[in-house]
Amino acid sequence: MKRRILSVLLCAAMVVSMAVGCSSGDDGGSEEKKEDASTQEEGSDDSAKAGDVNGDGKIVVGYISKNIVDPFHAPINDYAKETLDGLVSDGTIDDWTGVLDGETDANKQSDRADECIAKNCDYVIMLPAEATASDAAVTKMADAGIQVIVVNSATDSTADVAMAYCGPNDVEAGEMLAQWVIDSVPDGGKYAHCQGVIGNSAQIQRGEGIENLMKDNDKFESVGDYPCEWQADKAANVATDMMNKYGDELVAIICDNDDMSSAAQKACNDAGRKDIVCVGVDGNQNPLQMVKDGDLGATVLQDGPGQVGAAIDLIKKALNGESTEKEVMVPFVLVTKDNVDEYLK
Amino acid sequence: MAEEMKKKEEYVLECHGISKAFGGTQALKDVELLVRAGEVHALLGENGAGKSTLMKCIIGLHQQDEGTIQFEGKPYSVKGPVEALNAGISMIHQELNPEPHLSIAETIFLKREDTRGIFLNKKAQNERAEEILRKFDFPHSAKTLMKELTLAQMQMVEIIKAVSCNARLIIMDEPTSSLDSEETEHLFRTIRDLKSKGVAIIYISHRMEEIFEICDHVSVFRDGTYVGERSMEGVTRDELISMMVGRKVENVFPKTDCEIGDVVFKVEGLSGKGFEDISFEVRKGEILGISGLVGSGRSETMRGIFGMDPITAGQMYLEGKEIKIKKPSQAIKQGICMVNEDRKNFGLALHRSIRENMALPTLPLKQKAPLLNKKQEEKDCLDMGKMLTLKAASIEHEAFSLSGGNQQKVVLAKWLLANPKVLILDEPTRGVDVGAKSEIHSLMCEFAAKGMAVIMISSELPEVMGMSDRILIYHEGKINGEVKREEILSGDENQESILRRAFGGK
Amino acid sequence: MAKKEEKVLGMDREKFRMFMGKYGIGVILLIMMVFISIMEPAFRSGSNMVNVATQVSINAMIAYGMCLAITTEGIDLSVGAQLALVSCILGQLISNKGWGIIPAIVVAILVSTAWGTINGFLISKFNMFPFVVTLSTQLIIRGLAQVVSGGQAIPITDTTFKQIYSAKLGPIPFPILVLILATVLMYLVLHWTKFGRYVFAVGDNMQAAIASGVSIIKTKTATYAISGFLAGIAGVIFTAKTASAQSNIGVGYETDAVAACVLGGTSFAGGVTTVPGVLMGIFIIGFIYNGMNLIGIDSYYQSMTKGAVIIGAVLLDMVMNKKNG
Repeated sequence: MKRRILSVLLCAAMVVSMAVGCSSGDDGGSEEKKEDASTQEEGSDDSAKAGDVNGDGKIVVGYISKNIVDPFHAPINDYAKETLDGLVSDGTIDDWTGVLDGETDANKQSDRADECIAKNCDYVIMLPAEATASDAAVTKMADAGIQVIVVNSATDSTADVAMAYCGPNDVEAGEMLAQWVIDSVPDGGKYAHCQGVIGNSAQIQRGEGIENLMKDNDKFESVGDYPCEWQADKAANVATDMMNKYGDELVAIICDNDDMSSAAQKACNDAGRKDIVCVGVDGNQNPLQMVKDGDLGATVLQDGPGQVGAAIDLIKKALNGESTEKEVMVPFVLVTKDNVDEYLK
Repeated sequence: MAEEMKKKEEYVLECHGISKAFGGTQALKDVELLVRAGEVHALLGENGAGKSTLMKCIIGLHQQDEGTIQFEGKPYSVKGPVEALNAGISMIHQELNPEPHLSIAETIFLKREDTRGIFLNKKAQNERAEEILRKFDFPHSAKTLMKELTLAQMQMVEIIKAVSCNARLIIMDEPTSSLDSEETEHLFRTIRDLKSKGVAIIYISHRMEEIFEICDHVSVFRDGTYVGERSMEGVTRDELISMMVGRKVENVFPKTDCEIGDVVFKVEGLSGKGFEDISFEVRKGEILGISGLVGSGRSETMRGIFGMDPITAGQMYLEGKEIKIKKPSQAIKQGICMVNEDRKNFGLALHRSIRENMALPTLPLKQKAPLLNKKQEEKDCLDMGKMLTLKAASIEHEAFSLSGGNQQKVVLAKWLLANPKVLILDEPTRGVDVGAKSEIHSLMCEFAAKGMAVIMISSELPEVMGMSDRILIYHEGKINGEVKREEILSGDENQESILRRAFGGK
Repeated sequence: MAKKEEKVLGMDREKFRMFMGKYGIGVILLIMMVFISIMEPAFRSGSNMVNVATQVSINAMIAYGMCLAITTEGIDLSVGAQLALVSCILGQLISNKGWGIIPAIVVAILVSTAWGTINGFLISKFNMFPFVVTLSTQLIIRGLAQVVSGGQAIPITDTTFKQIYSAKLGPIPFPILVLILATVLMYLVLHWTKFGRYVFAVGDNMQAAIASGVSIIKTKTATYAISGFLAGIAGVIFTAKTASAQSNIGVGYETDAVAACVLGGTSFAGGVTTVPGVLMGIFIIGFIYNGMNLIGIDSYYQSMTKGAVIIGAVLLDMVMNKKNG
């Protein structure tokens, strides 16, 4: 009996603390929000007011990563960390949230957005996990009066509600992949396509780009699209399977990222099929090293840090009262043996 | 070398002034225990008297708060069973917990494997085990897996293991509780053999006959205190019982004669795994005893009747009507309940409360509303607890906090709440102390007096003979004879004649 | 060895031990809340508390189902995939087929409940390991989600549907209402129904439960069906939150659910759990994410912290609950 009473008390304490917080916080909160809205309006046509979006006298920047584990996003996060830490120490901004982990999950990103709102962020840089699903996070923050800069891939309503978009054009990347294969294998043949996680915008758009060039090309025939979830080992399995199945007819493996293409190429090389052309997008260190060593023909580098850099530049501009672009396209680079040294750390 | 040591010391183990408290409960208070080399020393006392706690202090599972222990004349202090074994003390637990997939050799050499470099030297290990097993006339090869052995054989393996570790003191906790008469006899031969080799044995048992048969001295405990030590020569059974309970126990079996009515339950030609063509009937108010060796098909028949195991042929009739039982829930609905012999595995959900355990089988009968009527349930459980003189601080306590006897009462309670017409009791007093045992016996008589038909399986012949109106004797899956109470009372039938039938004779 | 009259916080040592054994998780939760509040005042704000409660509602549904499964000595690894399937069914029906919201939700939840039932049936009828069964059905369910969605993300533009996540009753968002309702229902089911008793009995000692006339098949099947049902509700909230139907969502969600159960005192040996405990476990997990992000602890260390907090809390619980004997 005692136990029940105590547990009820504990729960009650939680509820009460929430409710109290609620009622007291809510008045303040909604007022603030109203203020936010008005300042935002002012801010958008007259950012000269020192760029303090919510008018609390502090400039706080939020940073919601896509994730903190994969080799493409790690350098982006590092770059953001370095640059934003720099801005804090030189007084340009007062604080930033640190790298918030989106765990490649739109739901988690939405939770992180809640935290940015709770922290009274003025600007938030976000790398969406999904085109559609992560949109909730972007609109939520925009509704709360935060200037959101979407980086790397756009969400559905980015153009309408976000302050800006800084990123690559993934369709273009897909076309670059296809073009490299067409250029490297003049005679054509069969090729396989290793996909990223199905439904992911980068996967969809890169696939579209590949399709754009390949569907009208008579020399090349697709043997199928294989979902490899961005994972290198799965792509390597596809490579060995396809070599077994099609033998010499297989001439290329196009991958949605270069973790996969480097693994596929390694599998081909190990099987004595250095002639097979594998190519992917991102420009991670391992594939770049392979390009340098001559094990991999090329890789399409996506300048991730450059994209985040562009986003931070926009914030700096806004803080200076300068006008900002709505969209910054950071170009892809085809990396071959000739220019690999520029990108290899 | 060890032999010389023992000759110098009269006592191999000396415990003086041992006290141990758990929270507010004083489990042991200033307890003594003196064990001589090469003797079998019995520990006697009701459950909760402190025997187990003392043994746990000796093998290092507990540390005593006060007092000293000396082993072979030297101060002795260990932090667990492994250290105890290294020091020369081994304990064979009542409920054996072998690793079923290990071989006998692997069990014997567990934690001290024969190795060659980092690899196990299986061959040498098996040969060594084979040699030891031969010394004990063990009927299986060292490669046999533990799961293929009978309980008695598993126990023997434990003993062999202890001896092979050069244990000079072996503690046996209720070693015969799962053994039949023949296996018990074999165990006793082994004990005598160990004794002759100078190994001392602490023998914990509730079975008075055994203590008189095998032990040299007995130390009696009551409520965590030491009552005294007696030599088995010259002490009487009644004296020991009164030492244990602090009062005189007159009649060991409180069997009362009550009116025997119509046939309640009848089976005809029942067959299944382990039993064949079984026919019997049981009447209102009757206690039907079932005797036979372990594995003779007694429990299997009852499990079949209760719907735990499939029945391949035969009919069952309850109050004249044929019934079909495929699972226990149907049996319960019909009013047939069974207290399983294996309390730990089939009796109780030990981490749940006494109340939940008691109410479980009767939930579908008593709780018709979507939400439980906990008030009614509490009342039922409290009433039943009172009737069974259950000793528990609260029915909300978890079942494992109870002693063996009280756990058994909870099991009884859960079935009595179903108000059964036929109550099957499989080894109802196994692992239960003397006081609770006689309480359970009295309760059985009460049930019968209320008009229940009681079927009781027991491996203890005196119990079956003392409690039953009629005894069925099983031999290899069939009924081999029936004995009536009058025949026992008149002396026409006795222990030998029943045992003879159990072994297949006429 | 002879410490008897030692006092801790003015309490008898023994009493303190028992108190912590029973309410340790609640105490840990309160300490955490106080600690984070001091480090970051924004944490205390009402809106943040509401945020956390709203966020954890999804995890809570899954954790409740999980705690049932764990209590019957099982586990339900299919919940993450169930989220995806529910999401894809909703997307397909609402956006592509033009169904009404309510029929679509009903169908989606029916499907997830059906999959839960299949899990439970396979586990109980054929006595298969829950780990293996749900690990396998998880693959099938996710595959189905991909088939249903065609591998594409389906945006759900219906504003009423999105309201499921954002609508408020007074200051309380709808998901919190669902959470409260589910908590009350779960409490009643576990502690006030026959079914709850059977779940505990089966989990603690299956043999004894059978011998007491409990149907293992019915109990376990219902357990996993409820888990599927709750995963269905979680899936609806999830989909409303992101307004998008996708086959790749919910990966790894079973981990947080299991962690919440364990924090809440659910025993992997079966037979032991409490609904308030699991709820507090859920909030602890929620506060770990939320609190660390607000304080600004580097994400690289968050995962480690979470693991350490879980091990620490469970260890504390074990030490406090150490039984005599």
